[in-house]
Amino acid sequence: MMLDEPYRFAEAVSNRRDYVEDQLRDGSPVVGLTYGDGILLLTMGRGQRKLYETYDRIAMGSMGHPTDIEKLRQAAVDLASVVGFNYSDADVTLQQIVYFGLGPAVKGMFDDFIRSPYIARILLAELDGDQGSVFYTVDYDGSFATHEGHAAVGGSIEADRVIKQRLDADHQPDASLQVALDVGLKAWSAGRSVGLQDEAAGEEETTVRDDEIQRVLREAVGDMTVEAMVLNRDRQAKSKAQSLTAEETKSVIDAIVA
Amino acid sequence: MSDPSVRGFNDGALPALGPGADFFDLLKAGGYQFPGRVIADVTPGHGPAFQPTEGTTILALRYDDGVLIAGDRRATAGNAVIYDRADKVLQIDDHSVMAISGSPAMAYEIARILEHSFQYHRRRQLTEMSIEAKLRRLSILIRDNLPMAMQGIGAVIPIFAIYDRRDATGKIFFYDALGAQFEVTDFTTTGSGAAAIRGVMYHLNRWGQTPFASLPREEAIGLSLRLLFTASEFDSATGRYERTADVFPTIKTVTADGLSDVSVDELRDLQARFIDAG
Repeated sequence: MMLDEPYRFAEAVSNRRDYVEDQLRDGSPVVGLTYGDGILLLTMGRGQRKLYETYDRIAMGSMGHPTDIEKLRQAAVDLASVVGFNYSDADVTLQQIVYFGLGPAVKGMFDDFIRSPYIARILLAELDGDQGSVFYTVDYDGSFATHEGHAAVGGSIEADRVIKQRLDADHQPDASLQVALDVGLKAWSAGRSVGLQDEAAGEEETTVRDDEIQRVLREAVGDMTVEAMVLNRDRQAKSKAQSLTAEETKSVIDAIVA
Repeated sequence: MSDPSVRGFNDGALPALGPGADFFDLLKAGGYQFPGRVIADVTPGHGPAFQPTEGTTILALRYDDGVLIAGDRRATAGNAVIYDRADKVLQIDDHSVMAISGSPAMAYEIARILEHSFQYHRRRQLTEMSIEAKLRRLSILIRDNLPMAMQGIGAVIPIFAIYDRRDATGKIFFYDALGAQFEVTDFTTTGSGAAAIRGVMYHLNRWGQTPFASLPREEAIGLSLRLLFTASEFDSATGRYERTADVFPTIKTVTADGLSDVSVDELRDLQARFIDAG
């Protein structure tokens, strides 16, 4: 077997990384940030859903191959639902879904050299208690990280960095939903612009200017639509997840591209 | 059907299922055993008499806005009152509710499975389960509970009420012990106190001043309080409002706006108007 030599193993891992990263590079980022009433997740797409309710207080967004996203989404819902039934709704936590579910599942697939790895990067968010919120990102190799206040998955490490830079500067935890949408969409656009540049340009650190953000968004609204979901702490129902309608996001995007 | 790609989730006791999986199947694949199927050797008449806990009178009727569903709060075992604060009207989701008479143990389990099944379906299939499917899920659970019902210890005979947004109308269903589902047009009542009020309901609906379907909300709630009170007059297993305990019947409404509880403050007010003053 070719993998019995350490060099071949490292080479095989590296090949898989290159393969997955190529597939993800120009994907549409998913951005998550807290706002006054809870958490907002948003992305832009061409009709296919990318943001989902996982459990009462947990939502998930993902970029990558649609079928891989589906498998991971369903597996996360299965895990959360069984725990919620056998224990209680309060015992379903994002940490558990990531540590025991998504992390091992994605890593297992990435390490299995006779199978194709998951082409997916996942962003998860959880309303925690009365005030708190938690974000996790799970990468295509099964590594995961937790984030406070905001988080994103883009097509590349550089896209992530640019989005984070933008959110670090503009994010206001107590903002209204309208402001959060504005901040989130601009951060999305910054990440998207990195994906649209050719590979060589991505080698050095980029700063995305405001006119570039506007240009990318203007182009995006031509054939993509905004998808947004909130985890709203004030929502009466048990489930706090709610998809926003096109009308609810229209005025914000209109104002940006105007 | 096993999907090896999600086997990372199998490190615990979790099953890996293909798309379209049902929540009850998911539970069973994970080792869950529905109690109705497993208890086989409890035969009444052997050893000391076993008196199962039972819930008593529940009723549902269609009024002008939707459906009202009500239950007294007593749970009994034979002659003994076990509990006077039992909730027998259980929310299943935003637009459906199940009221139970018979064994609370099995009924609560069935309600829990149903509630999680509906949520699971919405999250996994990305669409709300149809009303037909919701009714079918309940039917299957009641049928699976048949061994318990046959042994005389765990029968569950629920009333299920749901608001059908397609037809813009509230609907009421009741079931037999085998899971057959029957839709009623105006009202139904089950449980030990039902015999005392079924005829009253029929009479009022047919020859009373206002048919139930035209009753405004408050009138419908007041009527339900009176009916439960009447049941408690003739059936010792049906509880009624006790001033010392200050526990009212549970009443919920299902309308186009969803499920809502009738608050204790409102019940106190209507109790004064419809029971104490009348």
